[in-house]
Amino acid sequence: MTAWLLRRLAAALAIVFAVVTLCFAVIHLAPGTPFLPGQDRPMDPAVVERLRSRFGLDQPLPVQYARYLGALAHGDLGESFSQRRPVADAIAGALPNTLLLTGTALAIDFLLGVVIGVVQAARARRRLDMALTNATLFFYSLPTFWLGLVLLLVFGQWLHWFPVGGVTDLILYDSMPLGLRLLDRLRHLALPALTLGLVGAAGTARYQRAALLEALGEDYARTARAKGLAEPRVLVDHALRNALLPIVTLLGVALPFLLTGAVVVETVFTWPGLGKLAADAIAGRDYPLVIATTLLSSVLVVLGSLLADLLTAAADPRVRLRA
Amino acid sequence: MTPATWLALVAAVLWTTACVAWLRRRAGRASGDAGRRFFRHPMATPGLAVLVFFATIALAAPLLAPYPPRLQLDIVQLQNLPPSWLHPFGTDLYSRDVWSRLVYGARVSLGIGTLGMLLAVTLGALVGATAGYFRRSVDAVLMRLVDVGLAVPRIFVVLVVIALWDRLAVLPLVLLLGCTGWFPTSRLVRAEVLSLRERPFTDAARALGAGPWRVIFRHVLPNAAAPLIVSTALGIGNMMLLEAALSFLGVGVQPPRPSWGNMIADGREQLATALWTSLFPGLAIAVVVMALNAVGDGARDALDPRRETA
Amino acid sequence: MLTALLRTAGRRSAVVIAALSLGFTACTRRGGCRGEYCGAVVIAGIGQPTSLLPPVTDQSLDRDIYDQIFLKLADVGPNGNTIGEAGFEPQLARSWEWSDPLTLTFHLDPRARWQDGPPVSAADVAFSFDAYTDTVINSPYSAGLRHIASVTATDSLSVTFRFRDRYPEMFYDAVYQMRVLPAHLLQSVPRDQWSTTAFGRAPVGNGPYRFVRWQPGESIELAADSTFFLGRPHIRRLVWRVVSDIPTAVTQLVAGEVDALQVLITPPNIERARAVDHLTLYPYAGTAYGFLGFNLRANGDPGRPHPIFADPDVRRALIFATDRERMVQSVFAGAAKLPPAPISQVWSWLWFPDLPVPPYDTAQAGRLLERRGWRDTDGDGIRDRHGQKLAFRVAAPTTSAVRMQYATLLQEQLRQVGVEVQIEGMDPAALQERMRAGQFDAALESWVTDPTPSSGMPQLWRRGGSSNFGRYDNPVFDRQVDQAAKAATQQQATAAWRAALQTLAQDAPAMVLYALDNVAAIDRRVADVRIRPDSWAALIRTWRIPPDRLTERDRLGR
Repeated sequence: MTAWLLRRLAAALAIVFAVVTLCFAVIHLAPGTPFLPGQDRPMDPAVVERLRSRFGLDQPLPVQYARYLGALAHGDLGESFSQRRPVADAIAGALPNTLLLTGTALAIDFLLGVVIGVVQAARARRRLDMALTNATLFFYSLPTFWLGLVLLLVFGQWLHWFPVGGVTDLILYDSMPLGLRLLDRLRHLALPALTLGLVGAAGTARYQRAALLEALGEDYARTARAKGLAEPRVLVDHALRNALLPIVTLLGVALPFLLTGAVVVETVFTWPGLGKLAADAIAGRDYPLVIATTLLSSVLVVLGSLLADLLTAAADPRVRLRA
Repeated sequence: MTPATWLALVAAVLWTTACVAWLRRRAGRASGDAGRRFFRHPMATPGLAVLVFFATIALAAPLLAPYPPRLQLDIVQLQNLPPSWLHPFGTDLYSRDVWSRLVYGARVSLGIGTLGMLLAVTLGALVGATAGYFRRSVDAVLMRLVDVGLAVPRIFVVLVVIALWDRLAVLPLVLLLGCTGWFPTSRLVRAEVLSLRERPFTDAARALGAGPWRVIFRHVLPNAAAPLIVSTALGIGNMMLLEAALSFLGVGVQPPRPSWGNMIADGREQLATALWTSLFPGLAIAVVVMALNAVGDGARDALDPRRETA
Repeated sequence: MLTALLRTAGRRSAVVIAALSLGFTACTRRGGCRGEYCGAVVIAGIGQPTSLLPPVTDQSLDRDIYDQIFLKLADVGPNGNTIGEAGFEPQLARSWEWSDPLTLTFHLDPRARWQDGPPVSAADVAFSFDAYTDTVINSPYSAGLRHIASVTATDSLSVTFRFRDRYPEMFYDAVYQMRVLPAHLLQSVPRDQWSTTAFGRAPVGNGPYRFVRWQPGESIELAADSTFFLGRPHIRRLVWRVVSDIPTAVTQLVAGEVDALQVLITPPNIERARAVDHLTLYPYAGTAYGFLGFNLRANGDPGRPHPIFADPDVRRALIFATDRERMVQSVFAGAAKLPPAPISQVWSWLWFPDLPVPPYDTAQAGRLLERRGWRDTDGDGIRDRHGQKLAFRVAAPTTSAVRMQYATLLQEQLRQVGVEVQIEGMDPAALQERMRAGQFDAALESWVTDPTPSSGMPQLWRRGGSSNFGRYDNPVFDRQVDQAAKAATQQQATAAWRAALQTLAQDAPAMVLYALDNVAAIDRRVADVRIRPDSWAALIRTWRIPPDRLTERDRLGR
């Protein structure tokens, strides 16, 4: 087991390292020198030369690569042009918000998706199943940002049930007691998380339905029925446990999808997370920030799939034994 | 809408029904079980009909659009008109006819989705087949590359490239989308090739003296077609959604060329006052992607009889 | 979850828990601020603030915020007069006198203190002048200070300004552009780091409000300084909420999440604000105007002339080709007018009806372009000359829905005469940097005017002007502008400006597009709202919320 774990960790590290190198390559392929700080005013060429040598941009490539890795190890991701402060600070502020959003969306995705999938399998090929199939197909095909806009319009602007942007109430939050603070955060979190989660849940439901139907046709299900168990018990006690396993591997796929969706959803709901940071950085031609958000999101994905593998190994003895 | 364009629209609908009916009949007669299984899938027929219809209107756009998509009819009097007989989907902020833009936008969105996916499938099939056939070191290297590709969320890669090379024209955008989308396909093809390469027909081909590439292209890949077709259908949908998101953020298809994504972005600020400018492009994307998914599901059922999901 | 908790904890403990939570929520409802000095106002800030250090930024959002933190020596009065000293209100300076026609001495108010303790001294004023005119810091306001030769501290509370020449607006130049900065905190910061220094993100000032915190991408919060020597501000907390564009701001305004918005701009927004009953609309003289600025030097290479825009006939042809009246109608539906020159509605005395501005005439546009050698030789619908296409990029900020709309309208109109326009939308800060570096072809610019044209016009159109991004250079115009600034009476000034604007219309370094009416929307509960057209946030410290209109939001907080 530990050998397998170590191998997976090594593989994960290798991928992160490859992404880091890729980012470095992209930096140096870019036209001009977009990574020179203080490029906002036209500068004296002598000053530019001085800065180039200070930041080692005239050194040979391997030396620059070593410095780049060293800087990364120290948490130095460069200076953001548009925000005029270290990139690491900007990211540190945005990361928790994105984690909160994608975490909640992931929870909605799986809980809702599994429940719908189970219901569909239980009522397979009957009217409810047909209706739900069409519904999940519809939500699965929606552009995430369009769903966000519609939800914002209906529940935010027309009905005023939820606020139209931000993480917390700007004024009242600090003076709220713990209970109301939680409620305030939940109210702000609801629409963006729902937007991301609904689309993901539709996909998960389709997958879960297929997996359950397959499991229900397996030998052990037939045995359970032969033993006299009622269908619901066959479903929940036997089929579901086996059909949940592939869902865990979906975690590895869900995270990139959620992070991609976060870029547009955070923009629509002005949620100050990594996605909005990346979208704003693009508008501001802030190259260090764009590269840094790419790097960080890749690391998150690798961590997520590592976690998914660990969970699968914990839940499915076949994986452990095979490894 | 002019009478001519109404006629053209009716003609398009009739043409679609004729095509789908003809396809059903052909499926019943020839190509064995696969065709019949496909059409038995509940959403397959409507899905196919939708795709044929949109492909038709995309190809016949000049006939179906009463106005050129960029034309600003009357920027003072005809702004933001709600849907009417003259303008079935209304006009937008710049007094452009939304239906005309939708029709021309179909060309862009469908075109980018299809071409991008074709490129991705080609690249993915090549890489996957190579990895699966040659195995060992070639496989290891290629699959590590695929791992890295799958680790970076696609939109970030695209954003990085666009940030560094400024706005992209349509063709470079297609190339970029294709080159970032082949990773899942390669895994799929590799799995198929790994199992196929042990089959007798591969041995036979090798025994007859066929070189490895000939074996891959003429014998192995054609048999791996089934999962490829399914993933292509689903992948086009993903491509379209990604292009829409990029255009919405302002870094995809550049206005004034209409794409369904940037039409939604244009209408975003008037959601409360002129909902139709964003509603119809959004619905169009949803309907087409739904149809692609339905067709993909149907194809999966048709080509892989082991998976009984409908 | 609550029911589960109740079930496991038993009924008695459930009562205890319920009582405690009620107590928690009730605790904050009692007490809180109740008097004259309460209130929290949330203001929508469009775009991202860049820095709160006054000399390094010219964004109006930054200025609105730092105006609450830093004082000037004296400020323009409600009538907006800039000639002589009439109407100016003392701020940091309590009094002043002229020892001779070129020497002005201010006496600082001894009660003025920096928010970290030390008193404001004359040395701070001298230091500030030095910073504003420093070439490394390269402040956009330095041009307005060019007539001042030196600023010296004669004792701890007296500072003397020496001018190079006499002209009517000497006092205005001495006081309006410059904010007084704390020498003791900024002296040690190297001049080339002023634009990125931490002080810009956590300033310490001498004004009515104190900086509390800046949450990047979200909000900036200020708190009233209760010991402010000119009178304690009534509104205790000010929060600027970062919003990406005006339509989003209007949405938040209508939903009650934001209390104030500086401009509504378009009639649909005004209608939306009027339809809710918790907002009051305040129309005020419009100071904003917009134009399409041409870069007369090559994109990215100021040493060479621009292949398209260096030719004034081509510029005039482009203006002939656009129906600017209808564009104003389309975008603003009556909430803006088409000015005859790049000026705002506030300078109504400069709206001469007979300036030689090209009217809408596409035939004339075509003829003019043909005459200058631009013909469509390859049949692609775009004119060209010597291999160069008549195609260029228009840069516009994505935060301004109005300018993005103009970009699309212009694109289509110019296409009709064979000109290809590509729209480049970007962050406003990125746009400013590009323009400063001369890396653009044409840009949709929007400016807010000062009370007098003599500071704004040279800044934008005079040779070497700090905001003359298009590098327009006409010595005749420069002379006329200098003469207008020196004019001793209103009549002389009008005649002199007419000559200058005539030159500008003939040279057409920009395509003038609109001059806004301004309507601000502020929550009904805020009273005593006074808005000065040149700087809408300048008088926030005089606003108040009467105790009987305080909401929960106003009462809460420290």
